[in-house]
Amino acid sequence: MRVLPLVENEMLKLWKRRRFRLVLLILVGLIGTIVFAQVQGREKFRSKKDWRIDTQERVARMRNWVRQGRMPDTQKNWMQFEISRLQYHLDRNIDPEAVSGPLFTRGFANAASYLLLHLLAIVFAADVVSSEFSQGTIKLLLTRPISRSRVLGSKLVALLLAIGLTVLIGGCVAYLFGGLAYGFRGWGVPILTGFRQTAGTFDASGVRAVPLWEDVIAVFGLAWFAAAAVGAIGFLASVLLRSTAASMGTMFAALILGTILPRLAPTWAFQKYLFPTNLPLPDYYSGSPPPISGMTLEFSVITLAVWALAAVALAFVVFTRRDVLA
Amino acid sequence: MPLPHRCEKVLRVREVVLSAKNLTKRFGKRVAVADVSFEVLAGEVFGFLGPNGAGKTTTIRMLVGLARPDAGSIHIRGLDLARDFQGAMSHVGCIVESPDLYKYLTGRENLLHFARMLPEEAAARIPEIAKRVSLEERLDDRVSTYSLGMRQRLGIAQALLGNPDLLILDEPANGLDPAGIREIRRLVRSLAEERGIGVFVSSHLLAEVELMCDRVAIIHRGRTLASGPVRELLDRPRGPHRFTVRPAGVAISVLGPFAESGTAEAEGEEDVAVNLSKERVPEAVRALGAAGVEVFGIERPASSLEEVFLEVTGGETV
Ligand SMILES: Nc1ncnc2c1ncn2[C@@H]1O[C@H](COP(=O)(O)OP(=O)(O)OP(=O)(O)O)[C@@H](O)[C@H]1O
Ligand SMILES: [Mg+2]
Repeated sequence: MRVLPLVENEMLKLWKRRRFRLVLLILVGLIGTIVFAQVQGREKFRSKKDWRIDTQERVARMRNWVRQGRMPDTQKNWMQFEISRLQYHLDRNIDPEAVSGPLFTRGFANAASYLLLHLLAIVFAADVVSSEFSQGTIKLLLTRPISRSRVLGSKLVALLLAIGLTVLIGGCVAYLFGGLAYGFRGWGVPILTGFRQTAGTFDASGVRAVPLWEDVIAVFGLAWFAAAAVGAIGFLASVLLRSTAASMGTMFAALILGTILPRLAPTWAFQKYLFPTNLPLPDYYSGSPPPISGMTLEFSVITLAVWALAAVALAFVVFTRRDVLA
Repeated sequence: MPLPHRCEKVLRVREVVLSAKNLTKRFGKRVAVADVSFEVLAGEVFGFLGPNGAGKTTTIRMLVGLARPDAGSIHIRGLDLARDFQGAMSHVGCIVESPDLYKYLTGRENLLHFARMLPEEAAARIPEIAKRVSLEERLDDRVSTYSLGMRQRLGIAQALLGNPDLLILDEPANGLDPAGIREIRRLVRSLAEERGIGVFVSSHLLAEVELMCDRVAIIHRGRTLASGPVRELLDRPRGPHRFTVRPAGVAISVLGPFAESGTAEAEGEEDVAVNLSKERVPEAVRALGAAGVEVFGIERPASSLEEVFLEVTGGETV
């Protein structure tokens, strides 16, 4: 028995339930709103100032704050880091804020990988299995001459496909809207990458210039990876809880915890092993400081991979053994 | 010399398509199914009769591999379900509990969906099967617009996709009107008689089983109380005849001698209940006529499931 027709089935159900269409609509609405807001806000002061003066002012302001020192250490570290980043751009005469369609696309992936893409991944993952239970169709699905693991496998493949498509389509919509607002060109612009924070200081030793498109691909790849990890864990929740609402609620809570915990309890080191803390991968890549010091891109990628693989393995074990009494 | 046609049919050994041995299932401490055994032959309709909560659905869940029995074994066309799930299930079509299909898909999309989970030729059977369950006209409507009867028939269509040798239906008459029930019954009978499919049907309605099935097992509180051909098990001497007559007083004295118990009893103003065999009814009617009693009707209520239970359990509490 081939697996492809099963994946086809799962994709058909995703599409026909309008869930996928809803997600697309959310992406379009959201990106449209962002671009609109940006354009409205920018127009007012764009012509007034030279970007160089603007950036120099920002650097000076931040230096001043750091010198006064009335802030927590984490914030101070971040500010020093931002100062050196801006200085680096100033030295090379590159506008750190200049926007183009491609740059907007990258910015979107960065911002979306904080919460948006993960939320969308959960929307798919939460009911990929549980909806079959609540509809009662699981009884038909598991009484075909096909092993349970194959049925579940096809659902996992469809889920990863849907998440990949969402990231891809999000990127395309962002490029379209960003392009309409800021111009479609600029994929080849050299961009500085490899900023790193080591022991609280800005480290430019790994910095190199790459064409923007290379950077964008890396950022989107990381965004997809993080969203896929969320999807895999949501998949487990869907198998365990057998209820769409319950698995969505649980996963949302986990995500929100991941965004607030590093801020409210930055000194609790163990949280770097929790999956929500590790999710903003593209941000590391672009040189933002990690949520908890000592975390690196490699560390987070490996941690997420371990979580995702363990979740999928557990989902298969539970799904293939448990009695279906729905 | 070739055997006459009828003889041939009788001599052919019917294959056992489903054999369940000593099935047991517990939910915590509660035993839902206890030591249930039966066999279903090709071409017969086997009834699984029991009241609510008897363990019918739980048994069916085990038969189709949704739940694992705590003890016992299941063989479908000789294949052990626990060892060769895929091989065994390739001969089975089923509806468990209720005909749940994807409501947001059309009937055809549903059938295509389940055909994709079967060998490739299944999809080609869709038009023929849709015709068989008389659903061709509504096949391209969403299932959410279907009536319960149509859903039940779509469920059966789905079960037939794999060209099964064994069809398992859980209370197929549930919620249907008499016409719908008749239609399902006719379909089930024809599948068994024409296609030689072995059909396992659960039900809590005695009358339905009587009309539809060849053999029956009666299950109560997880145990099979009795099993055998429907005629032997359900067609026992039934309750009293009820005569609707005027005047009742005269009728009682006329009918008394006919009764097996020796007396006739008044059951309301114009009804008289008498225990008597079918053969003596015409005689009794003539006697009533001779005595000037007007007869408005005679009926014999079918024995209820409870009465059959009482009989097969020998009067133990049900
Ligand atoms: N998931 C479950 N957990 C615990 N007990 C259960 C479960 N499913 C069924 N039971 C119990 O098993 C027994 C048999 O239930 P089952 O659903 O098999 O009955 P049934 O014969 O199909 O009844 P009905 O005619 O109402 O459909 C009942 O006592 C029921 O309470
Ligand atoms: Mg039931």
